[in-house]
Amino acid sequence: MSTAPLSHAARKGYLRYLAPGALGFAVVVLVPFVMNIAISFTAWSGIGTPTFTGLDNYQRLIHDEMFWSAFAHSIWFIVAMAIVPTALALVLAAGLFDYLEPRFGPRVSSALRAGFYLPQVLPVAVAGIVWSWILTPYGALNGVLQKVGIADPPNWLGDTSWAMPSVMLVLVWMQLGYGLVIFMAGMARIDPQFHEAAELDGASWLTRFRHVTVPQMRPEIFVVLLTTTIAALKVFGPVFVLTKGGPGDATNVPSYYSYSNFFGNLQVGYGSAIATALTVVVIALTVVFIKIQSKAEGA
Amino acid sequence: MLMRSRLSGAVALAAAVTLALSACGSGGASGGDGKTFTVWWYEDAGNPQDAAWQDALKDFQAAHPDVKVKFERKVWQQIQDAGAMILNSNDVPDLLEYNKGNATAGAVSAKGLLTDLTAEAAKQGWDKTAGSALTVGTYDSKGLMGPGKVYGIPSYGEYVSFAYNKDMFAKYGVTVPTTMDQLVAAFETFKAKGITPLAESAGDYPAQHLLWGLAVAKADRNWLNGYFGLKAPLDTSAASPLTQAAQTLADWTAKGYIDKKSTGLKAEDAWDQFRSGKAPITYAGTWMVGDFKEKIKSFQWGQFLMPGSGISAGSGGNIWVVPTKAGNKDLAYDFIKLTMDTKRQNLMANAGGVALAADPAAVTDPVGKQVNETFAKLASSDGLGLYGDWPVPNFYQVIFSNTQTLVGGSQTPAQFMEQLKKPYDQVQSSVG
Repeated sequence: MSTAPLSHAARKGYLRYLAPGALGFAVVVLVPFVMNIAISFTAWSGIGTPTFTGLDNYQRLIHDEMFWSAFAHSIWFIVAMAIVPTALALVLAAGLFDYLEPRFGPRVSSALRAGFYLPQVLPVAVAGIVWSWILTPYGALNGVLQKVGIADPPNWLGDTSWAMPSVMLVLVWMQLGYGLVIFMAGMARIDPQFHEAAELDGASWLTRFRHVTVPQMRPEIFVVLLTTTIAALKVFGPVFVLTKGGPGDATNVPSYYSYSNFFGNLQVGYGSAIATALTVVVIALTVVFIKIQSKAEGA
Repeated sequence: MLMRSRLSGAVALAAAVTLALSACGSGGASGGDGKTFTVWWYEDAGNPQDAAWQDALKDFQAAHPDVKVKFERKVWQQIQDAGAMILNSNDVPDLLEYNKGNATAGAVSAKGLLTDLTAEAAKQGWDKTAGSALTVGTYDSKGLMGPGKVYGIPSYGEYVSFAYNKDMFAKYGVTVPTTMDQLVAAFETFKAKGITPLAESAGDYPAQHLLWGLAVAKADRNWLNGYFGLKAPLDTSAASPLTQAAQTLADWTAKGYIDKKSTGLKAEDAWDQFRSGKAPITYAGTWMVGDFKEKIKSFQWGQFLMPGSGISAGSGGNIWVVPTKAGNKDLAYDFIKLTMDTKRQNLMANAGGVALAADPAAVTDPVGKQVNETFAKLASSDGLGLYGDWPVPNFYQVIFSNTQTLVGGSQTPAQFMEQLKKPYDQVQSSVG
């Protein structure tokens, strides 16, 4: 590839192709984001003229227990959407790539890969409704549990102590395929010589997984962890469909809390402040992640 | 990739607000040419209201052959969540069914988003047709229901009552209860036979209706006026009807009259327990009557009101409103008129709906006859207790989620009342 700097005219030529994307970004992300920040400094019901209230909404935010408990729940969502699915996907991808594909052929492994990826393709509203049927007290799951002798199975989504683990389970199912597909693509990139050399030295599959696959997959793991962590922080759809933040506020998350302030309480200013705070956290986290990644790559 | 293209809910909603805002100031979408009539409602297809209004649409089209009729079916929750934003945009229909209550119709009327229908209602006689049910469409300048201007026209009524399985009552020798003690005794009889008597759903709206039904059965009109008029901070003492209701609900769950697992059940799950004959009793609004009438074939069923003060959860139905920005208001009035006439009112009543002005002689359907007589009795004896979530924005969600934890047992009645008191008092101090 040529490394000569682009001429002014050539750069102008590229700009033309960037314009549609830039316009879309401005309309869908930038303008609403700036407006959101502006609204967060006001008291506004969504109708009429907003009243400027300075930092009032942010002051309220700092002392709002509901907001902090929603943020604390985000940690569980990071576990369920980023950490567990990434780890599981890595093991499964290695299993599919190293074991199933050589023995059963690429067709079997790509069929399985597609199966794991399916939950990512299904609209969250559809998948959520089906899961709530499965998890309802007299639904499919408890029917099966009763058949195998558990007389009083849990009330998965209706019990304050079970709701969070149940939602987490659904999210692991939803997220698994995303990492799996990226990791399988990444594994095709690893030079087979590494594995061959390790195998000749008598390394077991587990040792090769730990010392060859995982270190080689670092860039992919970073990308998957970063994108899924961000997705976990701003999760909305699954919570809306499965529990609406309940029972009580057992599964409330910042996005849902922002939503209920916007539309339920008609406190659009406060809802905007929550959304702004959430965005700041997401951006900060992204910067930290990218810093760590470039440091790791530079080392 | 799904995940990456999914914007955060909050940002997407901010975008929605922005678009709604940026739409302000440009020309109305529905136009005022008298050539199209756009109407929205959220009654389920085939229910008594829908049947009557579809019939009205046919006559409307016949009377206005050159008008293009555009009907869209919405859902109740959609209007509950986004109604204000819709009315504030320029993409408004000419007429829509809107959720009654201070936090919904009241709030948008106070912001000037609804047409004042006071004069039209008097001219057309809708105030007389609706009678006391018109309360649900009348709001003052602060958006509080009560004496003020007419912004919405109810064309049907509703109340919540117990529905019971007559066959199961006969089988176990239970008579229809007329006092609270008899009701509890009936529960005990079924419980002793291993049957959970009361089909409920605390993972959806029915449990909060039961809570409110229990509250108004202990209340008088004076207490109700204070509660809805935000006259004082919420009374959380043990004597308050609402505290007593929370206590009763907790007791009934503890005693096994209500399944504790109802916290994970949707409304449809509870109705299904009743329809399938698993549970002998449920507490359902008249909007379920058409469904029960159609689907219950294997047993006889009936209704009885919550024993107590004679006040029941119920009110005029949801209301027709004409957005301020509607382009074809005269067409909207023409359509409202059709829904209020005797033909449509009789049609609704005979389908099992609660009509406001059906001709009693023309109501031949036995179920329709019973519900219309009961509603007429409640309306004439000042026995409509409205709904507990009306006074404060988002109170629906607050009462819903706290009723869920109350039934689940992770919250005591006292804690429940504290959770309600916070948002109530916040609004009360700014309005009252």
